[in-house]
Amino acid sequence: MSNIVVARRSLMLGGAAVALMPSLALAAGPDLGKPAPLFTAVDSNGKTWSLAELKGKVVVIETTNHDCPYVRKHYTAKNMQTQQREAAAKAVVWLTSASSATGEEGYVTASQANDLTKKRDAAPAAVLLDPQSKIARAYGATVTPHMYIIDASGILVYKGGIDSIPSSSVSDIPKAKQYVRVGLGEVLAGKPVSDSATRPYGCSLKYPRTST
Amino acid sequence: MKRLLLLLLVLFAAGPAFGQTVVEAENVRAELLADVAAVKAGEPFWVGLRQTIRPKWHTYWKNPGESGLPTEIKWTLPAGVTADPIVWPTPNLFNIGGVINYGYRDETVLLVRITPPADLSGSSLKLAAEANWLVCEDVCIPEDGKFELSLPIAVAATPASAGTRAIFDKARRNVPMESPWPARYGVAKSGDPTLIVEARGLKPDTIRDVYFFPAEWGPVASLAKQSAQVTADGIRIPLKKGDAKAALPERLAGTLVLTEKTADGEIRQAFDVSAKLDPSFVPTSSLAAAEGSEQLSLVEALLFALLGGLILNLMPCVFPVLAMKAAAFARLAGQGRGEMRRDGLAYTAGVLVSFAVMAAIVVAIRASVGEVSWGFQFQSPVFSLLIAYLFFVVGLNLSGVYEIGGRFASVGQGLAGRGGTVGSFFTGALAVIVATPCTAPFMAAALGFALSQPAPQTVAVLLAVGLGLALPYLLLSITPALQRLMPRPGPWMDRLRQFLAFPMYASAVWMIWVLTQQTGADGVIYALGGMILIAFAIWLLRIGSGASPATWLRRGLAAVAVLLAFAAALKLEDGPATAASASGGAAAGVNFDGWERFSRDRLNQAVAAGRPVFVDFTAAWCITCLVNERIALETPTTRHAFGQAGVVKLKGDWTNRDAEITSLLKELGRAGVPLYLFWAPGADRPKILPQVLTEAMILSELSR
Repeated sequence: MSNIVVARRSLMLGGAAVALMPSLALAAGPDLGKPAPLFTAVDSNGKTWSLAELKGKVVVIETTNHDCPYVRKHYTAKNMQTQQREAAAKAVVWLTSASSATGEEGYVTASQANDLTKKRDAAPAAVLLDPQSKIARAYGATVTPHMYIIDASGILVYKGGIDSIPSSSVSDIPKAKQYVRVGLGEVLAGKPVSDSATRPYGCSLKYPRTST
Repeated sequence: MKRLLLLLLVLFAAGPAFGQTVVEAENVRAELLADVAAVKAGEPFWVGLRQTIRPKWHTYWKNPGESGLPTEIKWTLPAGVTADPIVWPTPNLFNIGGVINYGYRDETVLLVRITPPADLSGSSLKLAAEANWLVCEDVCIPEDGKFELSLPIAVAATPASAGTRAIFDKARRNVPMESPWPARYGVAKSGDPTLIVEARGLKPDTIRDVYFFPAEWGPVASLAKQSAQVTADGIRIPLKKGDAKAALPERLAGTLVLTEKTADGEIRQAFDVSAKLDPSFVPTSSLAAAEGSEQLSLVEALLFALLGGLILNLMPCVFPVLAMKAAAFARLAGQGRGEMRRDGLAYTAGVLVSFAVMAAIVVAIRASVGEVSWGFQFQSPVFSLLIAYLFFVVGLNLSGVYEIGGRFASVGQGLAGRGGTVGSFFTGALAVIVATPCTAPFMAAALGFALSQPAPQTVAVLLAVGLGLALPYLLLSITPALQRLMPRPGPWMDRLRQFLAFPMYASAVWMIWVLTQQTGADGVIYALGGMILIAFAIWLLRIGSGASPATWLRRGLAAVAVLLAFAAALKLEDGPATAASASGGAAAGVNFDGWERFSRDRLNQAVAAGRPVFVDFTAAWCITCLVNERIALETPTTRHAFGQAGVVKLKGDWTNRDAEITSLLKELGRAGVPLYLFWAPGADRPKILPQVLTEAMILSELSR
C-alpha cells in the first residue's frame, strides 16, 4: 500500500516540475496580411508610442540587443543605421524595440539606450523600452534582430530577418539581399512584398526567465 | 643551438599532423580528426570536426530552430579532392526561455567524407578547413578556427589509432539512420501538417519522447512539444505550419527521434525521414481543432453531409448497388403505390440503420483507440474478399445465371436480393457498406468534422449522409408524380438488368485490386479461386431439384465449395506478414536471410562442436533491434567477418514471445530483446554484448 502512495507522490512531483519548467513555447507570431498586434510603449525619452495612433504611416519594428553579435554585425557595418535614415527620409516610422528582459543581456535603461543611439549614430524614430518583452511576445519574435513591417493600414506585411545571409560576418552584408529595404520599397510603391516571410537569424531573444 | 633547431625542424616535419588540428576557442574546443592514419589514392575516408562544448552551452544543428546558426566548414583542398556536406549527428532540443533551438551539448562530432582522386600523388595530403560556429548559453558567441590536417599517402590506407577510431565509431552511431518505414504527410484545413510514419507493429507502451526535427526552417514550426501518437499502425505527429510563405514541399524532410524502452534500459534512436505529401490525407488533428478558425458549424456540416450523401449516388462504388435498386424499382413500377412506399421506406431504413451502426463502431473505436479513419473496414483483406464475392454473386444474379427463390438464401446476397421489404432494407445496407471507401476523398470536410466531434454530433452527421444517400429513392417512392415519369415495364427491364451485371463485375475486379494492395499477389489466387468455387456451387444447385439422393449430393458438394471459398478468407488472415511485406512495410517481420532459426538444440550442438556462435534475439516491433541490424549486423563488412570466422549465426524471433526463447532470456536474467550472445570458439559460456551494437564492436569480438 505504501508503495502506491510513494508512486503517486513522485508522480505529483513530476507533474509540478513539468509545470514549472519554462517549456512554454512562444505563441506563434501574428499572421501576415492580418492587423499587426497593437501595443503601447514608452521610449527612451519618455514619450509614449501607440501603434494604433500610427495608422496612416508605414512602421518598421526592429528587436534589438546591443550585445548580440548579430546586432553588432549590422551596427558595426552601419547597415542598420543607413536603413533607419532611408526609412526616415520616406516618412517611415522605425521603432527599435529593446526587448531583453530586465537583467538579461541587451537590457538597457533609458539613458543607456540614448547613449547607444548616440555612440552608434543610429537614427530610429524611437527606441522603445520593452523590459517585459511584451512587444516581442506579441510579435512572436525569437531573435535579435527580428524585423517587421506594418503598412499604412496597420496590416503586418513582413516578418523575418534583416537580410538573406545568416552569418555574423560583416563581409556578408553587401552580398546579401536586404529584405527590409526591398520590402519597404515595395510597400511604399503600393506593391505586395515579394519576400514577406523570411528566416530570422540572430541571438535568441532574451525573454524574462520566470515567464508564464 | 643549430642542433636544437634541426631537431625542432625534424619534429615538425615528422609529426603526422602538420599545422593546427586543434582550436581552443573560449567556449568550444574544436579538433579536426581523420579516421585514417594514411590515405590511399581514390579511397574515400572520413574526417570529423569534434566540438567539445563548455558545459551548459550548445552549438547548432543544420536547422538551428528559432534562433542560432549551424556550424559551417569551408574546405581548401588540393585539386581533385572533394569534401561532401556535413553528416549531422542527431540533434537535441533546447528551450531557451521559450525560444526553441536544435543543437548539441557537451560534445559532438560533425562527419565529412573526403574523397581523394585516383591519381593522388605526392607524399602527403593536406586538408585545410575554416570552420565557424555559433555557441550559445543565454548569450551567443560566434567562434571560428582554421584547421590543417596532413595525412601521409600510402599504397594502402591505414586506420587511425584505436582511440580515434572509437571516436568515429561513436560519432557514426549518433548519426540518424535512413528510416526503415515509409512516411507521408497531409495538411489540415488550417494549413498545419500532420506527419505519419508507417511503422507498423510497434508497441506503443515501449516508445516515448517522439519528436520530429524538421530539416529546414520554413515549412514546419519549431515546437517546444509535439504530441505524437504511437499506435500499432505507426506514428502520427501533428505539426504546426512554419513561417515560410511558400506552399508545403512535395517532400517534408527531417529527423524522427524517439526513445525505446527495452528490457535493460532506454535507448534513443533517430531516423531520417522524408515524408511525401499525401493530398488525400486531410488530418483533423486536435491541434487544429483547438485553434482552427475555419471550423464548420454543426448545421453547415449537416447540410454538407446531406449533399454529400446525395452525390454519393453518383459514385462508382455505389453505382452498381443502386443499379440493382433501379432494376427492382422498375419492376415495382407497375404495382401499387403502397408497395412502392413501403419499399422506399425499407431501403431508407436500411441505409440509416447501417450508418447508425457504422457511427456506433466509429464512436466505440475512437473511445478505445483514440483515432479512426473512415473506410476502416476496407483495411481488412477478409472484408475486401467477402465484398468481392458479394459483387460477383450479385452480378451472376443480374446476368440471369440463377434466379432468386425463397429457399436460396446465402449470406448477404440472398438478403439483398430477396424481394420485398426485407430485400430493400438489405440493399440499403449494402449500398452503405460499399459507399464508405468512396466518401473519404469527396467529403473530407464533413466526415473530418464528424470524426472529430463528440459522439452525438458524429452520429448526426453520419445519419445526414445516409439520408442524402437514400433521398432520391425515398422521394421517388412516395411521390406519385415522380413515379409517373418512370417508363412502363417491358422487355427493356430484363435487358437493363443484364447490362447492370457488368458494373457489378467491374466492382468485383476493383475489390480484388484493393485486396492485392493488402495481401500481395497471393490474394488474387484465393479470390478468383473462391469465385470459381462459388460459381460451381451455384451451377450444382441449379441442375435438377427435388429430394433425390443425387440432389443431396450436389447440395453437399456445393456447400463444400462455398466453405472452401470462405476458407480462403481465413488463409488471408493467416498471412498478415506477407501482406505487410508486399505493401512495403519494413518492420513487418523478422528477416532470417543468412541466419539459422534459433533452437536450443542447434545452439548446444554448435557450442559442443567448438564453433563460434552468435545469437540474435529480436522482434518485429523492436526498433533498437532493427537499428542494430542495419548498422552493425547486416553490413557487408560484418557479414564478411562472420563468414571468415565461420560463425554459426542463430536468430530467435521473439515477436510473439516464443516460449523457448523466453525461458532462455529468463536464465540469463533478461526481460526482453534485444539480446546478443557470442560464444567464442570453444567457450562454454556466452558473452553478453551491449544492447547498442556497432560494427567495430562485432569485429573486435570476432578477432579476439
